[in-house]
Amino acid sequence: MEEFVTACPRNCYSTCSFRVQVENNRIRRILPYSGNLATPEGPCIKGLAYLERTYSPDRIVNPLFKSADGSFRPVSSDNALDIITNKLETLRQKYGPHCVLWYKGSGMSGLTNEIGSEFWKAFGGVTTTYGNLCWPAGLEAVRLTLGSVKHNVPWDIENAKTIIIWGKNPAETNIQEIAFIAKARESGSNIITIDPLRTPTADKSDILFCPKPGTDAALALAVARVLIDDGLIDRSFIDKYVKGYDEFKKSLHILPADAEAITGIPADNITELAYIIGKGGPVTFLPGYGVQRHLNGGQTIRSILSLAIITGNIGKTGSGFNYANLQSYVFDDVKEPLSYYPDKQKDIPFRRTISMAKLGSDLLGTKDPQLKAAWIERGNPLLQSPDSVNVRKAFSNMEFRVVVEQFMTDTAAVADIILPAKDLFEQSDIVGSYWSPYVQFKPKVIQSPGEVLPETEIYYQLSKRLNLKLNSSLMPEPGNENIEIWLENRIKGYSDLCLNDLKNGPVLAPLLEHIAWENMKFDTPSGKIELYSSDAQSIWKVSPLPEYVQIDTDSNGKNFPLTFITPNTGSRIHSQFGNLKIIKETLPSPAVRISPADADLRGINSGQKIRIFNQHGEVFSIAEVSNRVPPGSVVLPNGIWFKEGGGGNTLISGMETDMGYGAAFHDNKVEIERVVRDE
Amino acid sequence: MNKGFIFNHNKCVACGACNAACILENGWTVHPREIYTYNKDVSVSLPLINLSLACNHCEKPVCLECCPTGTYFREPQTGAIVIDDKKCIGCKYCQWNCPYDAPKFDAKKRIIGKCNLCYSGLLDGRLPACTDACPTGALSYGELPGIDTENKFPWFPDKDLNPSLEFSGEHNTVIIPLKIIPENMYVNQMPVKSEKPSTETREWSLVAFSFLATLSVSSVISSLINGVFPNFIFIVLINILTGLVSLFHLGRKLRAWRALSNLKSSPLSREIALFLIYGAVSILAVITELPAVLVVASIVGLLLLIVIDSVYINSDKRKSVIFHSGQTFLSSLLIASFFSGAVIPFIFIALIKVVSSIHKIYFTKGTGNNFGLRYFRLAILVVMGIRIISAGYSFDPVIIALFLAGELIDRIIFYSDFEPMNLNTFIYKHIKTVKDEKKRG
Repeated sequence: MEEFVTACPRNCYSTCSFRVQVENNRIRRILPYSGNLATPEGPCIKGLAYLERTYSPDRIVNPLFKSADGSFRPVSSDNALDIITNKLETLRQKYGPHCVLWYKGSGMSGLTNEIGSEFWKAFGGVTTTYGNLCWPAGLEAVRLTLGSVKHNVPWDIENAKTIIIWGKNPAETNIQEIAFIAKARESGSNIITIDPLRTPTADKSDILFCPKPGTDAALALAVARVLIDDGLIDRSFIDKYVKGYDEFKKSLHILPADAEAITGIPADNITELAYIIGKGGPVTFLPGYGVQRHLNGGQTIRSILSLAIITGNIGKTGSGFNYANLQSYVFDDVKEPLSYYPDKQKDIPFRRTISMAKLGSDLLGTKDPQLKAAWIERGNPLLQSPDSVNVRKAFSNMEFRVVVEQFMTDTAAVADIILPAKDLFEQSDIVGSYWSPYVQFKPKVIQSPGEVLPETEIYYQLSKRLNLKLNSSLMPEPGNENIEIWLENRIKGYSDLCLNDLKNGPVLAPLLEHIAWENMKFDTPSGKIELYSSDAQSIWKVSPLPEYVQIDTDSNGKNFPLTFITPNTGSRIHSQFGNLKIIKETLPSPAVRISPADADLRGINSGQKIRIFNQHGEVFSIAEVSNRVPPGSVVLPNGIWFKEGGGGNTLISGMETDMGYGAAFHDNKVEIERVVRDE
Repeated sequence: MNKGFIFNHNKCVACGACNAACILENGWTVHPREIYTYNKDVSVSLPLINLSLACNHCEKPVCLECCPTGTYFREPQTGAIVIDDKKCIGCKYCQWNCPYDAPKFDAKKRIIGKCNLCYSGLLDGRLPACTDACPTGALSYGELPGIDTENKFPWFPDKDLNPSLEFSGEHNTVIIPLKIIPENMYVNQMPVKSEKPSTETREWSLVAFSFLATLSVSSVISSLINGVFPNFIFIVLINILTGLVSLFHLGRKLRAWRALSNLKSSPLSREIALFLIYGAVSILAVITELPAVLVVASIVGLLLLIVIDSVYINSDKRKSVIFHSGQTFLSSLLIASFFSGAVIPFIFIALIKVVSSIHKIYFTKGTGNNFGLRYFRLAILVVMGIRIISAGYSFDPVIIALFLAGELIDRIIFYSDFEPMNLNTFIYKHIKTVKDEKKRG
């Protein structure tokens, strides 16, 4: 039995290292790798589920072609690529290359993903997306304020005396962080969770503050006001490193009593929270991504971040604002969130971009040329994009759809051709992480089953068929050894790291700051921490200061009384993994959670089929009446497939966040009712 | 060797990795490891604690002791308590006796599946898959540090089995509930629900077996008292029927003969053995018509019933079960005195049953379980008693039918009251107690 160290390349904080045992070209066992200090105990249940995922009978391992009657039939790779070539050629001649949408999701990370863009460049250009569905509002907020996006090494939170988990649920979405939180708690640290829901993370805390959804900025700014009024700030830190403190101080018009009316948190408790933060240093803030999936998301993150700044909790051990840590992205020329900006020169020559958050309306509304074909890889936009009714409509209006997938997802089901996608064990690659500080090599350890081709080879074959001139430095030839040569060249010049260093196991990012900003040098225009950011105003037309902006949810659903929240859940990485047997067998089945009060009002019991609806449409799911949900909210995790009772994005408007080109998922209202079966 | 599972509840978030790893490693069709949650319904006034639990490979393995077939054995090098798939008859008696809910009935294979400590992996130098897989380090395996776990979770059935499990989690999270602000946010709460026990205790075939055995023994005893021999055909038929009907609750009926393999320590083995002896002796008695054999049959019969009762008392030691009016020994005395016309003993035993039933109704007040049946059963007894006192003893078929129906109902009620030790039940009861105490102030 051979053993390799590899890394999980999913869109997840942890990016776990793990050992994989291989025998006769088959994965036998997945075991922890203790050399990665961020994930020493190994991957979560989803990581273990690779044992099934790679060999699942449901995995698509041959190209599938949709017949006239709508059913799929297997075809050979050659056949599939010929069909695609002819179709792309025809469409390019008829409408120009930009009639093709190249949609990339976050399904699998790695440097080789870039190779596709060389193909599309040589194709003559393509339409692609700007922005990101997940986290850019907060990234932009942190970038504007601190100059770059990073934080202390994950294990440093053990040194915090107070941990403020603000809208993050690591118990489900960053499980390895729980080990550090628990250790801090056992040594007497105060753990505070701020979340409209009683999450499993809240159950690992001492106090849970439950503000109304979307009002976090008001809470934060009221806390800031108390910190300043009661002298709980770090004056010398502010004087030395902060720009705009006086303006910030002057702008704080929300008193605890005002915030009580906005957030529902009693004024006394707001003061209590201020004292916990002000007296409890060092404080580490663990803000999540849900809290910024609001129309006011960027300003909300800036407001929460202001608390860490005025109390001097930046640049020290046990302190910090752990929004995202991009220090391991050492091979990126442009890092997030700047990489999410739309191209400055539209249309020419390579790409034209449309909004990720408003994909539905942009797909339908784009002209000259209209979008006639879609190439979708690593993503499932029919399920995961807001306004999914229009997204589906737009895709069905198109002439041709290619989806590269492993399973028959909601998006794959509408494809004309499905190309089977590789799994993580089937091609070498290099991955970073937005939480852990390691750069990791992920080796090829098994042969792909069936006729699975990695995207790199799909593009290689297509470029040959289309006679595109691409040399092997841009478009590596088939074979994993060529991919490794490409990787070797790709990482040259960024650091001293070479591929062989990485092959020995995870490597801490070169120039890693274990304590971020320990040198107190900030990459902002002023070189200081910018509580006052002129860029915020000029780029995003928001106040240069952190501000609470009330969300007008009524405009997104008048007459619908309940706030619709679609968080991530432990059984899935977005829409991945939930289809696997081992996940279904061992974790609770998907359901929509409602509060006992709202259930009583509507005569709904757990286990009953219910209809969730608003002006956009309806979804059917199974109710779970739960003490974890406060009255007034409905919770349906994202990533649940339509056939499992998911598809919450049907009810979500396509709206961009106040900054960063993110998607404001959490500002929608719905109503629910029991479905009385009449059949 | 003092190795075992070490669990830190502060780090467990019920992510399911342990459970999944166990299945992936061993290919189970059951879940030998499960996560139990204290306060699963997320009541505001209680802390919420997850507990990942499989077999604790106890020093005193009650499963191994009670198993009638010798399915369980201790793997000598690792100390793992392991089962031999080929021997298990699927009687589920181990489920009744393990307080940790470790043996799981595999509905597909019709036998028990249980954590084997991944002992072959341990011998190869690996750790149990669940402990390797735990992503937070909540669950580990190794030298037990000797932590006093006795009083850690008041709701954990520690018992005297000496489980190879210790709880390492520091902090007083065990008793302090999460403080939620605003405080009135979760006031409108779901009530705490009792979970269905995972073991099935209301097997109809066991009700039938024990009731038929009671009838058979009663008829032998009443014949002895009346100085006659029981009806040959009746005894042969009822004994064969009793034996056959008992097979129906087994997962693997063809292996039933194995049930005699553990006379040394399994009450169930002894029950089966005594039943076979009783069956043989009572049939011999009606064949030979020798009074001495009938006397022996009566004694063996009573012994059998005592052993039948002990099978249940072994799994549920509560007084309410020990003194239950539906116990077979007591019932057989009543039935025997009924049929032998011994009015004084009949009334005396009936009174015991009435008192026990009334006590039970009073005792279970509020839980609302089977009240209709209980009152009906009581009414039958009272009507019978009055009838016998007023009109004297008679073989009125309606009366006989009513009387026997009453006894059968009593046996059914016994099964519904019988609750073998089980972690979920333990947790639920503890939560109820804590809540009731809080209510009282």
